Amino acid sequence: MRPRQAAMLAPAAAVFAVLFVAPFAFLFVVSFWRVKTFKLRPDFTFDNYADTFTKYLEPLVFTMAIGFAIATLTTALAFAFAYVIRFKAGRHGNALLVVTLVTLFGGYLVKIYAWKTILGTEGILNSALLALGLVREPLTIFIYNPGAVVVTLTHFLLPLAVLPIYGSLRGVRDITLEAARDLGARPARVFLDVVLPQCLPGVTAAFAFCFLIAAGDYVTPRYVGGPYTSMIGNFIEGQFSLKFDWPSGAAMAFTMLGACLACVAVSRALLGLARPR
Amino acid sequence: MAADAKRPDGGRTPLVQLRGLTKSFGPVVAVRPLDLDIYAGDFFALLGPSGCGKTTLLRMIGGFTEPSGGTIAIDGVDVTRLGPEKRPTNMVFQGYGLFPHMTVRQNIGYGLRLARVAVAERAGRVERIMDLVRIAELAERRPDALSGGQAQRVALARALVMEPRVLLLDEPLAALDLKLRKQMQEELRRIHRQIGGTFVFVTHDQGEAMGLANRIAVMEAGSCVQEGGPEEIYRQPKTRFVSSFIGEANVLAGERRAGVVTLGAGAGFAEAGADGTVSVVVRPEDVRLDPGADAEIRLDGRLEDVVFLGPYTRYRVVLDSGEEVVVHAGDAAGQAVGERVAVGWRRDRQRLVQGS
Repeated sequence: MRPRQAAMLAPAAAVFAVLFVAPFAFLFVVSFWRVKTFKLRPDFTFDNYADTFTKYLEPLVFTMAIGFAIATLTTALAFAFAYVIRFKAGRHGNALLVVTLVTLFGGYLVKIYAWKTILGTEGILNSALLALGLVREPLTIFIYNPGAVVVTLTHFLLPLAVLPIYGSLRGVRDITLEAARDLGARPARVFLDVVLPQCLPGVTAAFAFCFLIAAGDYVTPRYVGGPYTSMIGNFIEGQFSLKFDWPSGAAMAFTMLGACLACVAVSRALLGLARPR
Repeated sequence: MAADAKRPDGGRTPLVQLRGLTKSFGPVVAVRPLDLDIYAGDFFALLGPSGCGKTTLLRMIGGFTEPSGGTIAIDGVDVTRLGPEKRPTNMVFQGYGLFPHMTVRQNIGYGLRLARVAVAERAGRVERIMDLVRIAELAERRPDALSGGQAQRVALARALVMEPRVLLLDEPLAALDLKLRKQMQEELRRIHRQIGGTFVFVTHDQGEAMGLANRIAVMEAGSCVQEGGPEEIYRQPKTRFVSSFIGEANVLAGERRAGVVTLGAGAGFAEAGADGTVSVVVRPEDVRLDPGADAEIRLDGRLEDVVFLGPYTRYRVVLDSGEEVVVHAGDAAGQAVGERVAVGWRRDRQRLVQGS
């Protein structure tokens, strides 16, 4: 590498090293330590990992499952949306894209409170149902359950998933679709054989992105998930902030990271089946 | 040019029949109602300047653009409302449209896979077609690792392997450089001879149309203005547009009164026909400098420019009327630029077209 290029890389590399690599490495080491009377004691024990699997296996599995559900739902919706923008909307496509980007400006917490306002017992949805006379008293099924978490996070993640998928769909040339039809492919085959394989990198990226953000979230479940919808992130947060048990928290965090990467790898492999043979 | 004006198949029914075919995009008429017959074995060119509707016409034959009116029949079957996947046609697209995620072999075999051709037969046919277009050594490459000429051959192979009743080619050589273009022209002629199919191609390059096709339809502003063999179109252009679009032509304005044509540049001759403005079209190679006694038409002017081009010399003469006449002559004459010269030609070498 030339000195000039090294100089250009240096600032970002420094930030990355100080703010990511160093704390990451430190927490990894800490995950093998113990804590005694609220003080960290260096050690080399796997107890923290063992505890994670015995005490927190259920929230871990639940987190992976809900992350998977959110990522699948979001990617599917985003794909449909991006597909319409790219192939069907014509010159209105750009307007739709701008709308998508604008929703990104609404912050994360704003969206959570918005959904609280919509789904709550005295929320917009219940008010509407009462006003229409469809129910006699407010329904409690909308909020404080995993469903509310799925709805909220899907809404939040949708624009973030639309962008990479749209980006990869833009690289799909119309002429390749025409060529496939010319060779005898019906619309479904054109989609499976030509569109999907060409935009797979974007779809995979969107899916991984949504999965990692959804699985790592602990704010949404706290506000709309109710007392029985705790994701692993909530427990990890508790270890650090309430119990001051950094080693356990770190072990849980690394376990979750491993589980997430495994899930993403499996998803990629599954999507990879769409490649031509 | 041997088979030029002759129909390759006598009186048989045409393979492709277009009847009253038309296409409008909103208020814009891309193709005016048009009739065209293409016969089995034809190498047929749709020739015209950009925007004349030739590509729209080709896309209608392929099923990619729905006609606003009229019918398309292939092999006697009306295919007007069928999509491209149901037509016995295959297209070589201008931008090739190769599938970037498949190897060359997968690209070529894709259509056969869709048609559920057995694996062994499919492999054999792909192999044979790759040999025919000479790309066997590229089989495992991906399209992004191909040069323009190679991609062109793969696109051709992918369409040909389907053994279409009609092969459609949209500006097949436009993206190639001159040398490659000449080479591909020869290849296309060889392939057409070898498999004996029916090829229809679109081009704006008259040299390409003359060099490849045995039939040419010249299009202008959405209409087919003349259809015929290359020699017929070159020798007997029906309109001034055709004469100047195909090869170089001198066009001189004139007027016909009671069967006598008088050119603005001076000369006159008798030729029966309706009164009104006419144009005389004559090819540069048919015009002589210092014409002999056999030249019925003679005009005077000043030699403006002389360019030696190898096989012939190009003279540009400005007539006293201000019109220009270009002369191609094999033997270098002694005239110098600026001298007064006479040009002339035999009457059987010129063409008279109505209007200006």
